[in-house]
Amino acid sequence: MDHIPGTAGTTQGGGFDPRQAAALLDQATQQARRAFTPLTPLLFTFRAVVALVVFGGFWLSVRGQHPYTGHISGWAIAVAVVLVAINIGWTAWVIGRAGTGVSGPAQRKWQAWTGIMVAAWIIGYAITAPLYHAGVSHPVWGLYPASAPLLIIGLAGAAVAAAFRYWPLAGTCLAIAAAAAAAGFGGPAGSWLSTGIGLCAVYLGAAPFTAWRQRRSMVRP
Amino acid sequence: MTTELDPLIHMPTRLKIVATLAALPDGDALSFTRLQDMLGLTPGNLIIQLRKLDEAGYISTTKTRNGSAQKTTAALTAKGRAALSAYTQALRDLLGGLDGDGRPAEAGYEISAGDAKLKPRAEIATRQESP
Repeated sequence: MDHIPGTAGTTQGGGFDPRQAAALLDQATQQARRAFTPLTPLLFTFRAVVALVVFGGFWLSVRGQHPYTGHISGWAIAVAVVLVAINIGWTAWVIGRAGTGVSGPAQRKWQAWTGIMVAAWIIGYAITAPLYHAGVSHPVWGLYPASAPLLIIGLAGAAVAAAFRYWPLAGTCLAIAAAAAAAGFGGPAGSWLSTGIGLCAVYLGAAPFTAWRQRRSMVRP
Repeated sequence: MTTELDPLIHMPTRLKIVATLAALPDGDALSFTRLQDMLGLTPGNLIIQLRKLDEAGYISTTKTRNGSAQKTTAALTAKGRAALSAYTQALRDLLGGLDGDGRPAEAGYEISAGDAKLKPRAEIATRQESP
């Protein structure tokens, strides 16, 4: 084996023990994974809480309506706006932080995925405007916003993530779409709660999975 | 069997550099300033270590000029990924040959003193017996 200048201290005299090397390799890898991961476990956990509080709040404000009108109370909308704004701000911050100084094909794919998701969010919820304008029935008005936008967003995200071979992200998006589709069977009022519980479960599953991917050892099985 | 740790990677600073770049997807590069921030190294030290890795073909560095500012990025090459993979496997073999106390396991491997090499006991014994 060639001895490279500057490595003598590590290969002669035992300055750098293999156990120390293994620990350092794991530490550096885990630190880098945390730094480069845009969607962190903490963000997923926060989103789980947001989903439960926002959709649960909507459900609380419409569950007693007989007949169903789909009218959501002002406090529930106010809470939703605040939490969604925090979620958007936090997401933008962590994505920006993770991508700082990173360039290359994977980074461009990630930026494309982010752009497509923003478009899917806008399109998914913008369709509610013509529905409102068309004067659809209250049950439709109740069912559509609770499940259809998330179905569109989840499927779009899963398709693009799968095309880019981001399999964990594709799985998470597909689970969101499945939760939204299943929530449609909950009825106009119940679909809000079903969506909230479904999203909460998906995010609570994604958080420890992401943490495990970040922490898994390079050296030990 | 002799498991050797690549001396180019088996150094704390370079190990951290290679491990950090390996956490990026294949083909992606990291700016010099971000790498420096993440590892807490001085610019001079980082330049020296990057040059060694670059000369070995483990990383590729690219310099781009945007107006008066120059930006340097570093990416792990396919050779660098393969070297890290081999290094990781060598570490696994080494640590697999040690018991919980860090002594050679009964399986029959020893680390030759300070050499970061794992050699079968039989090979060491044969060498010791020979004149």
